[in-house]
Amino acid sequence: MNVLFILSLIVITSLFDTINQLFLKTSINSLDLNIRSVKNVLSFIFRLITLPKVWIGFIFSALSLCVWLFVLSKADLNYAFSADSMHYIFIALGSRIFLEEKVGLKRWIGTIFIIVGIILITWSNR
Amino acid sequence: MSKNRITLKLLLFLISTDLLETFTQYCFKKSALAESSLLITNPRDAFIFLKSICFSSFLWLGLGSVFITFIIWSTILSKIDLSVAVPICSFSYILVPLVSIFFLKEQVTLLDWTGILFILIGVIVVSMSTKQQKIIIT
Repeated sequence: MNVLFILSLIVITSLFDTINQLFLKTSINSLDLNIRSVKNVLSFIFRLITLPKVWIGFIFSALSLCVWLFVLSKADLNYAFSADSMHYIFIALGSRIFLEEKVGLKRWIGTIFIIVGIILITWSNR
Repeated sequence: MSKNRITLKLLLFLISTDLLETFTQYCFKKSALAESSLLITNPRDAFIFLKSICFSSFLWLGLGSVFITFIIWSTILSKIDLSVAVPICSFSYILVPLVSIFFLKEQVTLLDWTGILFILIGVIVVSMSTKQQKIIIT
């Protein structure tokens, strides 16, 4: 199986995972978080699961798992797991674009390290 | 109670998320391995692939492990910042290749380890950049 095909599937699972995280984060942000007791936690979770965005996120999370299982059936676990670290890059980009969070220089430097690492392991597993 | 105080209990939680994450990936790999001979060329094949994986006990073991990890992880994050928790939990990037070598008989070359080292540094730098925090270890 072509390593670039596997890599593009890992990109898809990472993207789906990122979409899930962004939906979850915007849903949690829309609720006022005030967790002091178990009762608070339960009511927080209950309000959370009534939000449609949480369910959209959940669907993407399930899709991400399906693609991930397919990747694992074809690729080595050590390669796939390491390459999956690219979701850190997508989350940095997504937080900047959709959540308007600040992404500092340090984070971009870390992102470059991850990219170099992924290129190295992809080269090694070609 | 001050934030970012890493107690022994918290450290054990952090280590257990590393181990559980590795265990999860091992289970997923095991469940997928059983169907690795299946060629998927159309959506129907993909459906058959997923259906047969659903009957794998490893898949459900992995999903159970995901659930437990999620609960432990939420507990950790209520006590310390993400920027402190993620670097300690990145050891799975080393544990997973080790498990791959010993239990799945995969080959991990020197070039692979170099790449993994870069990824590990990257993940630590990215997560530490969320906030400048002092870490107090008691």
